Amino acid sequence: MRKTAKTTWRFLRRFWRGLREWSGDAAYESYLRSKGTQSGSGRTLTPAEFYVEQLNRRYSRPNRCC
Amino acid sequence: MKRVYVILVWLGIALLGAGAFGKIAFDRGEPLNATWFVVAAVCCYLLAYRLYSAFVAAKVLALDDTRATPSERHDDGRDFVPTNKWVLFGHHFAAIAGPGPLVGPTLAAQFGYLPGTLWLIAGAAFAGCVQDFVILFCSIRRDGKSLGQMAREEVSERGGFISQIAVLAIMTILLAVVGLVVVNALKSSPWATFTLAMTIPIALLLGLYLRFVRPGRVLEASVMGVALVLFVVVAGQWVADSPSWSRVFTLSGVALAFAIIVYGFAASALPVWLLLAPRDYLSAFIKAGAIFTLAAGILFVRPQVLMPPLTRFIDGTGPVFAGKIFPFCFITIACGAISGFHSLISSGTTPKMILRESHARFIGYGAMLLESFVGVMAMVAACAMPPGIYFAINSPPSIVGGAGDAAVATISGWGYPLQAQTMTELAHKVGELTLWNRAGGAPSLAVGMAQIFSNTIGGERLLSIWYHFAIMFEALFILTVLDAGTRVGRFMVQDLGGRVWKPFGRTGWMPGILLSSAIIVALWGYFLYQGVVDPLGGINSLWPLFGISNQLLAAVALVVATTILMKMGRLRWIWVTLLPMAWLVVITMTASYQKIFDANPRVGFLAYANVLAGQIAAGKIPAEKIAETHRLIFNQRLDAAVTGALAAMILVLIVEALAQWYSILSRRKEPVLHESPYVATRWAANFSGAAHGDD
Repeated sequence: MRKTAKTTWRFLRRFWRGLREWSGDAAYESYLRSKGTQSGSGRTLTPAEFYVEQLNRRYSRPNRCC
Repeated sequence: MKRVYVILVWLGIALLGAGAFGKIAFDRGEPLNATWFVVAAVCCYLLAYRLYSAFVAAKVLALDDTRATPSERHDDGRDFVPTNKWVLFGHHFAAIAGPGPLVGPTLAAQFGYLPGTLWLIAGAAFAGCVQDFVILFCSIRRDGKSLGQMAREEVSERGGFISQIAVLAIMTILLAVVGLVVVNALKSSPWATFTLAMTIPIALLLGLYLRFVRPGRVLEASVMGVALVLFVVVAGQWVADSPSWSRVFTLSGVALAFAIIVYGFAASALPVWLLLAPRDYLSAFIKAGAIFTLAAGILFVRPQVLMPPLTRFIDGTGPVFAGKIFPFCFITIACGAISGFHSLISSGTTPKMILRESHARFIGYGAMLLESFVGVMAMVAACAMPPGIYFAINSPPSIVGGAGDAAVATISGWGYPLQAQTMTELAHKVGELTLWNRAGGAPSLAVGMAQIFSNTIGGERLLSIWYHFAIMFEALFILTVLDAGTRVGRFMVQDLGGRVWKPFGRTGWMPGILLSSAIIVALWGYFLYQGVVDPLGGINSLWPLFGISNQLLAAVALVVATTILMKMGRLRWIWVTLLPMAWLVVITMTASYQKIFDANPRVGFLAYANVLAGQIAAGKIPAEKIAETHRLIFNQRLDAAVTGALAAMILVLIVEALAQWYSILSRRKEPVLHESPYVATRWAANFSGAAHGDD
């Protein structure tokens, strides 16, 4: 019983993490974790700056298909 | 022992699939149950994935997990983001799944359920999935380069330019045709028009929230947005029931076309965070939810498929669109089996986020299999309604003689019994003024989906809500394609224009933004308007044009893939991309030729233009209609010219590729592969994947 609950909890956590990554909710956290940001070579963007910047990049190339 | 067990399981899947296929293909008794379609499709997909994609991965591409992918080498948290394969599968699928696999099979159902279903499954397994997979692989090996860049480097400079023009052309026609599908879905439907119109203020609200209140908190904003959208679906009924509000939202085709054109311009010119991106979030969630619900509904309801396996319209006289089963079934199905547009996604964001090369098989090949399954579900939804109703909804008035008794006589005369009362009752049940002559695929698909949904939850009482939910779902994500496509088109126009006049190419310069947005909107807006006023229904000319351009782009992608395989020294296996490429060239060239030169005015653009010119010359056109008829003649000639130009482009590219292949095979030229240099992954030995959830 306890093992099932643990497995379910682990699955739900993984699902939640996947959903956040898929939807873009966790994009800023990924950005902070990335090698480029960690290296400190440039100024780290604020959440609002990062949000606008990534949208401008994403919607300047084909990203939705027919 | 385990090996024997595994072999037995796969043998069982093969036998089950063969049995289900046999049932679909040869059963001529009672109406078939839709479960057979699901079983046949799923078994084939499992086998194709397990056997064919494994063969392509191991022998043809020789995927190498010791090689660092672009996301590892350039990890910047922006473009290059190492991503869990399930999450990336979701990203990739959300990007490739558009209205094509829903609308195409619905239209192709006029040939019966069999040809479309066979092509959806076989086409995906041997052509569409291979294209997506191989192009994804090629792009991974080239730091995420686009199809155009790869064509330029691996085929020729001219090849790259041709693919850039081809992409702009397909984009223009795609946006026009999806706009037309929305117009036909919303025409004279206050409920649906209100619901869709309300998604704009909802998106603006979300945009402001995500920009200023909680930047980037997409999930919570999307939950709020989806709740509001579901509310306006229900509220639409109150609008439809109110005489004064109903009048406001009852719009003609032309009015809707202009509204969509204005919307497209606004979405392209406004900041992306304000309207475009929040609409995309809403659309992605509703799309995922609706597709999942449809699959569950089909399994739960197990509807009977009432359409025959083959109809009389395989001879080319179909009312939905004219043209024989070959090549028009393949052109019409388009994205559900193979889509050239996918190669842009496979050489866009996905290769920059992939964690390991071996994931390309699951993401490239697997996501396309799922898209094909969406197409099979759309086919089931369209074929689950009585054929008489299907033809009444999808046929333009000029073919069936309008609505009511004349149309009943025509459709019943084809052997598909129908009563006018049935159509009136159905329209009333789904909350529409009429369902006659609603060509475009969206309304009939919505009727099919609503019947499946209402049999799962709510019964007939909720049929109208489900119908408008389905219309909203289709229109919402079609408009997402339209606004995102217009914006990308704007960048392409700026890129091309910037070569002539530098300031025009600056993407942040407001006059350039406005002018380039106006140009791209005018391009697709003209074709949209042309489709709306076309007496043959618009879909008859625009959908084949879209299918041809889309399949031509797929041929371009496969030419590039074949060239790269040849340069890699995989001559023995180039049939993997060469055969689907040859097939696409044959069907697109045949379709292009027929659309331009066929003597039947419903098929050939020039024949129709000549008929109209003849009618003017013979004095059969009233004076007040002469200007309009001249416009129709011009439009037909324009469509012929566009089709010819698209066909010419692919022929030039093939000639370029053949020259390249000849020099490689005859060893006149040393093949130069433009791959990024090999860098060993640092993850192979010690990467547990925990950071990215890769287990």
